[in-house]
Amino acid sequence: MVKLEDLKKEATQILKSGKVKYIIGYAKGAAGFMPIPAFISDPEDAENLTWNPACVHNLTKFIVDEKKRLKKEKKPDNRPIGIIVKGCDSRAINVLLQEKYIDRDDVYLLGVSCEKTGVVDEKKLAKTLKGQRVVQIDFEDNGNFLVTTESGSEKIPAEDVLAERCIECKANFPVVFDIVFGEKIKRQVDKPFQSVETIEALSQKDRWKFWKEQLDKCIRCYACRSVCPMCYCDECVVDTISFAVEPDTSAEEKAQKIKWIEKSPNLSENIVYHLTRAMHLAGRCIDCGECERVCPLDIPIRFLNKKMEKDAKNFFDYEVGFDPDQPSLVSSFKDEDPEDFIR
Amino acid sequence: MKKKTGVFVCHCGINIAGTVDVKKVTKDLAKHPGVEHSEDYIYMCSDPGQNLIIDSIKEKGLDKVVVACCSPTLHEMTFRNAAKSAGINEFQCEIANIREQCSWVHKDMDKATDKATRITRSAVERVQGNESLEPISIPVTRRALVIGGGIAGIQAALDMANTGYEVVLVERSPSIGGHMIQLSETFPTLDCSQCILTPKMVEVSKHPKIKLLTYSEVQDVSGYVGNFKVKILKKPTYVDPEKCTLCDECVRVCPVVTSNEFDLGLTGRRAIYIPFPQAIPATYTLDIKNCPGLLPIACGKCADVCDPEAIDYDMKPEIIEEDVGAIVIATGFDLYEKENLSEYGYGKYPDVLDGLQFERLCSASGPTQGKILRPSDHKEPKEVVFIQCAGSRDPELHCAYCSKICCMYTAKHAMLYKHHVHDGQAYIFYIDIRSGGKGYEEFVQRAVEEDGVIYLRGKVAKIFEEKGKVKVWGVDTLSGKDIEIDADMVVLATAMRPSDGAEDLAKKLKIALDKDGFLAEAHPKLKPVESVTAGIFLAGAAQAPKDIPEVVAQASGAAAKAIAILSQERLFHSPNVAKVNLNLCTGCGMCVDVCPYEAVSLKDGKAEVNEVLCEGCGTCQATCLRAAIEVKNLTPAQVHEMITASLGG
Repeated sequence: MVKLEDLKKEATQILKSGKVKYIIGYAKGAAGFMPIPAFISDPEDAENLTWNPACVHNLTKFIVDEKKRLKKEKKPDNRPIGIIVKGCDSRAINVLLQEKYIDRDDVYLLGVSCEKTGVVDEKKLAKTLKGQRVVQIDFEDNGNFLVTTESGSEKIPAEDVLAERCIECKANFPVVFDIVFGEKIKRQVDKPFQSVETIEALSQKDRWKFWKEQLDKCIRCYACRSVCPMCYCDECVVDTISFAVEPDTSAEEKAQKIKWIEKSPNLSENIVYHLTRAMHLAGRCIDCGECERVCPLDIPIRFLNKKMEKDAKNFFDYEVGFDPDQPSLVSSFKDEDPEDFIR
Repeated sequence: MKKKTGVFVCHCGINIAGTVDVKKVTKDLAKHPGVEHSEDYIYMCSDPGQNLIIDSIKEKGLDKVVVACCSPTLHEMTFRNAAKSAGINEFQCEIANIREQCSWVHKDMDKATDKATRITRSAVERVQGNESLEPISIPVTRRALVIGGGIAGIQAALDMANTGYEVVLVERSPSIGGHMIQLSETFPTLDCSQCILTPKMVEVSKHPKIKLLTYSEVQDVSGYVGNFKVKILKKPTYVDPEKCTLCDECVRVCPVVTSNEFDLGLTGRRAIYIPFPQAIPATYTLDIKNCPGLLPIACGKCADVCDPEAIDYDMKPEIIEEDVGAIVIATGFDLYEKENLSEYGYGKYPDVLDGLQFERLCSASGPTQGKILRPSDHKEPKEVVFIQCAGSRDPELHCAYCSKICCMYTAKHAMLYKHHVHDGQAYIFYIDIRSGGKGYEEFVQRAVEEDGVIYLRGKVAKIFEEKGKVKVWGVDTLSGKDIEIDADMVVLATAMRPSDGAEDLAKKLKIALDKDGFLAEAHPKLKPVESVTAGIFLAGAAQAPKDIPEVVAQASGAAAKAIAILSQERLFHSPNVAKVNLNLCTGCGMCVDVCPYEAVSLKDGKAEVNEVLCEGCGTCQATCLRAAIEVKNLTPAQVHEMITASLGG
């Protein structure tokens, strides 16, 4: 079990010694039981850190933001950032390392074990508790969560309320870290792609109908893009301009904006946006599921990325985020790569 | 300044005009924004056609040109040169391929015409964004590398050296000579193979312009046409050729006997050996695989008896680096694997031989001093069966291709056999007799008429040993009769295959292989000695099965092609290369991994393009998620405009 006291002690110590610039972690939110991301630079505030099954956020996104901020600073403080990483988040770190977006020295990784379970799906939890207000949720032994509601505590089997991505998780323990809390308990995953298989089982016609309905809902708020640690490009294909404006860029060139995708949220453009994003995440998405969690329209975006992950595994035996030194999926070629799908 | 584009639509006789209404395309393009001039002509590539372009550029002050015609691989250069001679930058001329990609593949005239218009329109849009570029100029290292010291490599090396260029000749075995030096006589003139090859070998060894590296292998090749960097591994022979007096004492005391590869296992040799008497360089090699050990405690006999102290057990492998401008690959062939021909008892019965073993039996320098004696009991075989196409022309089980030389050498074998064993009888099983070539057909007829060789059209079904004979069961498909021959010896005309290691070498050199593993030529008809990589040329049986005259001709061809590069002071490279936008590059390195030419590298956390290595293929541009790398004159902005132009209206 992760001992929260140990985590706090380490956090206080590395802040005091100046080893890290600040720590990105989880702290109790202002309302409800869901924690919020916390940025702690004062050693005394390390007391506020928390770790429980409601710590759903993938905090590595903030490392990307920090990196962008640093680029603009004249005298950047290049000390590492302390960051709390779950198994899935640590894989995101590996991808950022693989893509040379960050250096290993940019981060001090405080790994936490998901204790053979994972994090909760808020909606599933609400359904299970039939509307009772949750005050606190904690890891318990034997794959259970201890849920404290206003009317008392009860043990709930984690399986009933786990986030979908945690059910298919390949890394419930950090794969890269500087210090780790909790035990390394490997959880057996029999069907790592079961969710996407339900969609694959549909006929082509039904699948098209399904996706038309889903993507028609999209309002293009780009929350999925904003929350994604891999969507770090400065210029995105959906933005009207996809080249940098330099001092010598002529007015004529500036006028030459490439509009690959229209801004208006209609079905055809939404499809192009989501499929392009899925393609750009092929071999990069580590399935933290944040895009789907933050979607205000409940579009099952994860399925698209999961399908890419499945194909990468099946065709090219490629798994994302376990080895920062492996060549990226789309830029590497092996002699034994299958070619039978090229027609 | 407003852009003035000229569009020139070619009829290509009826090649284009038969399917595409070129007049309509011309008329439609005239209306396209930015098009100042639009014209069609029956053969744009003809002199009057080119003049039409040149005159229009001059008269109308055109600054961009689109020629709608055949594939840019054919006439892009023609029209760019025409544009240049009219005074505009050659890279302001683009080709719209309306023949291979339109008229040739469609039947419906209306639809094809519409498509041709769209293709041409898209080229017009592309050319609007073209920058004026100048070719990149690179210096040339004026020396060559030849890989393989058989007849092909020897010929290519001599041709280049005699023209005055330095040549590095690399051979992996201890001596040059290749397979040709193993042969007895050569068809169709029956002159002794060694007698005609050894003068060339000597010439190589004495040539001041040739640096000979035997017992060496090419380890790594980097660089590009005109400027290759080659790493060569020189394996230790443990004998200093300078000190060695060729006294042969070491061989006499060596306790190890191993199979002699020069005689294809028909004889043995010692662990320290000279491959054959005329070997070049004339020196001994200590075969470390078979030597009991380099420690004097293990054996050390050869070093003990060596008076001039030429044997040096401390010799180490050496890496030699050479800079060259062109490379000729002449890695030759090997015979189809024994294991694959078990149906003929090859490798199982001692009296079933392959063609090369039979050559050694006939050779005056061979294991029997030129007497034909069968290996099992050293008796003279009175009936010999020769089987053609052993492994060749059998797509189901073996090689689909024809090994080309077997018809002729089998006729030669039968003839040589008759010359040695006057009362013997030779039988040849064949599928067809392919004797195209000067004097070849006459040679086969001579075998039948003068030497009484019996040709049997058909395949052999079974071979087995019985009572000291090799029984051959087969069918004569002309008479339909079963045939049974109690032969004393069987000789298989085994298929040729690319030599061991050719595949690895092709990978190192980044050149392609064909489906059978032979080195692929750039074009089967018009570029038969060029590889797909500029500056690397092919010679000999490494490219396809061929006989000596053909090998020599191809080697000279490859040498001439290499000389065409070496004789230049500078080479020019297309400036249509990738360019990095440093503001957008995040340094993820995907372009580095994906570049097939190793032209992209990371420098200070950003991608950097080596313009000389870059071929402008655009793979990096397609891979980059951040649009931070683009190929000049084919930028994303241009591609976008091209898509819009071809989809719109």
